[in-house]
Amino acid sequence: MLAVLRRELRAYFLSPTGYIFMGFFLLLSGFFFTYSNLFQANPSYLGVLGSITFIFLIVVPILTMRLMSEESRQKTDQLLLTSPLSVTGIVLGKYFAAVGVFLITLLITCLYPIILSFFGTIAVWEIIGGYIGFFLLGSAFISIGLFVSSLTDNQVIAAVVTFSALLFIWIMDWVLSGLPTDRVSGIVFACMLVAGVAALVYFSIRNIYVCAAVALVGLGIVAALYFTNEFFFDGLIVRSLEWFSLLKRYDNFSMGILSLSPIVYYISFSSIFVFLTVRMIEKRRWS
Amino acid sequence: MVQVINLTKRYGQHIAVDNVSFTVDKGEILGFLGPNGAGKTTTMNIITGYLSATEGSVKVDGFDILEEPEEVKKRIGYMPEFPPLYMDMTVQEYLNFVSDIKKIDRKTRARNLDRIMDMIKIGDVRKRLIKNLSKGYKQRVGLAQALIGAPQVLILDEPTVGLDPKQIIEIRNLIKELGKEHTIILSSHILPEVSAVCERVLIINKGKIVASDTPENLSRRLGDTGRLSIRVAGPEKQVLKLIGGLAGVKSVESTGAREPGTVDILVEAEKDIDVRRPVFYALSRAEYPILHMKPIDLTLEEIFLQVTTQEREVS
Ligand SMILES: Nc1ncnc2c1ncn2[C@@H]1O[C@H](COP(=O)(O)OP(=O)(O)O)[C@@H](O)[C@H]1O
Ligand SMILES: [Mg+2]
Repeated sequence: MLAVLRRELRAYFLSPTGYIFMGFFLLLSGFFFTYSNLFQANPSYLGVLGSITFIFLIVVPILTMRLMSEESRQKTDQLLLTSPLSVTGIVLGKYFAAVGVFLITLLITCLYPIILSFFGTIAVWEIIGGYIGFFLLGSAFISIGLFVSSLTDNQVIAAVVTFSALLFIWIMDWVLSGLPTDRVSGIVFACMLVAGVAALVYFSIRNIYVCAAVALVGLGIVAALYFTNEFFFDGLIVRSLEWFSLLKRYDNFSMGILSLSPIVYYISFSSIFVFLTVRMIEKRRWS
Repeated sequence: MVQVINLTKRYGQHIAVDNVSFTVDKGEILGFLGPNGAGKTTTMNIITGYLSATEGSVKVDGFDILEEPEEVKKRIGYMPEFPPLYMDMTVQEYLNFVSDIKKIDRKTRARNLDRIMDMIKIGDVRKRLIKNLSKGYKQRVGLAQALIGAPQVLILDEPTVGLDPKQIIEIRNLIKELGKEHTIILSSHILPEVSAVCERVLIINKGKIVASDTPENLSRRLGDTGRLSIRVAGPEKQVLKLIGGLAGVKSVESTGAREPGTVDILVEAEKDIDVRRPVFYALSRAEYPILHMKPIDLTLEEIFLQVTTQEREVS
């Protein structure tokens, strides 16, 4: 894992990618810092962190687009996958390299609050808390980018799809408010989920009987839930999609509150996408 | 050393490798011969653990690729068809990286790498970026990569494809040299190539093994095509008539005139009959000098056709 991580970090700084990411990030964050803290003589740095989260939308695709896709394009994945490394080790090495570049960039932005501290006292612990949240939020986005780059061997496609996925997460809260919350739509949604899973099963193993069995079991669970706890379906759509609402959980950090549950949430979110990436690569071998 | 048992690989409905079984003994150099799309690369990718088989199993040194992949991968050095090189690294950096991922002890590493670079003759480009190397050098770096960690088994997928004749000879000699210390499986779509280096040849076509023999036996079985290409100084019509009337000649046709006053003809003999002498006497008696006469080698397609029909006749 360390060897992959080292190589990946080197690659970031031997190609323009690492510098573009850092440059873009520092430029935008510097602009917001200058504008809202320096010009307005405002000592609240957390506000800056909160308002620059949109940068992820642009810089995360740059950072993650070539992670896995370039390996399959250059066929170097043959080297990695036939070496004694585990797939998990390879994927984690890549993930931590991207997160590492992000972390280095973030450490540079620590200069801003240090500049602020010359002008007066700053809320040190709150800012550290805010940074932790910001870092975890970014890492979760990076995990999405990592996963997307394992789906294609084309960097541009990886970047565009990552951007769209992040954009979707951005507008989610807004979309959520417009979604139906009644029981019937919840049941319909649950049935669609079952159909989706069954279709996925069919396309991965191409066995209609297994697929039908999965669909039946899924529908059975839906029916059982309906007869035991029909309230389960009230607002199911919103509750399911809220799981993806990464930004909402950042609100706490933005207010300077450091609590455990969003930290756990971000870490599990990233772990799930790292895991999905591993599964994706394993699955390719079987296809 | 390597056991492949009832290996099948399906891509959707398409069967790329169809129930293939073979074993390779320790120290053997096995050639894997087949036209493009025969399933050579797929088989090799499965042995090295890059792909998973749909059915069947692979054992290397007694370890199953699915059950103990790490043990298998430690014992195999793989040079894929396209050398898996990182273009942004120098040769030295790249080989260090490969040593890292193969978990080679850092203390002995420098010495091992020097030895490999010496043998493959890439020492003089060690500081160069891989993307600036010529095709031949890239191929060698790909080979060097496979040798790191002194694996017992080397798997080389079309190691000479795209090289010029001089480089081909160098790589072949290198492979022969490596064969003294390693078990080697090597694929190719050129018969002379496997004959030159291998002790045993498996012929694979459309995912199936159609023949397995020593190169000598194969060329004996396949060498005699019964067809001759002859250039005769004489009039086309008479020559064709003369040769066509000989006993043992199945067919004769003209392939045109390449030199003024001559004709090139293609003679096909009846099975197991050598018509070279009768052809010579007939033409010399008629005072049509033979300018050259040579047997026609089988093309790869014909080899497969012949091998498959022979097998069918046997069974
Ligand atoms: N990823 C893939 N998806 C679908 N078919 C494939 C794939 N890879 C190879 N094939 C097919 O499998 C067959 C064997 O290919 P391959 O093993 O590359 O042959 P060879 O190396 O002998 O030229 C070919 O018909 C090829 O089209
Ligand atoms: Mg091939």
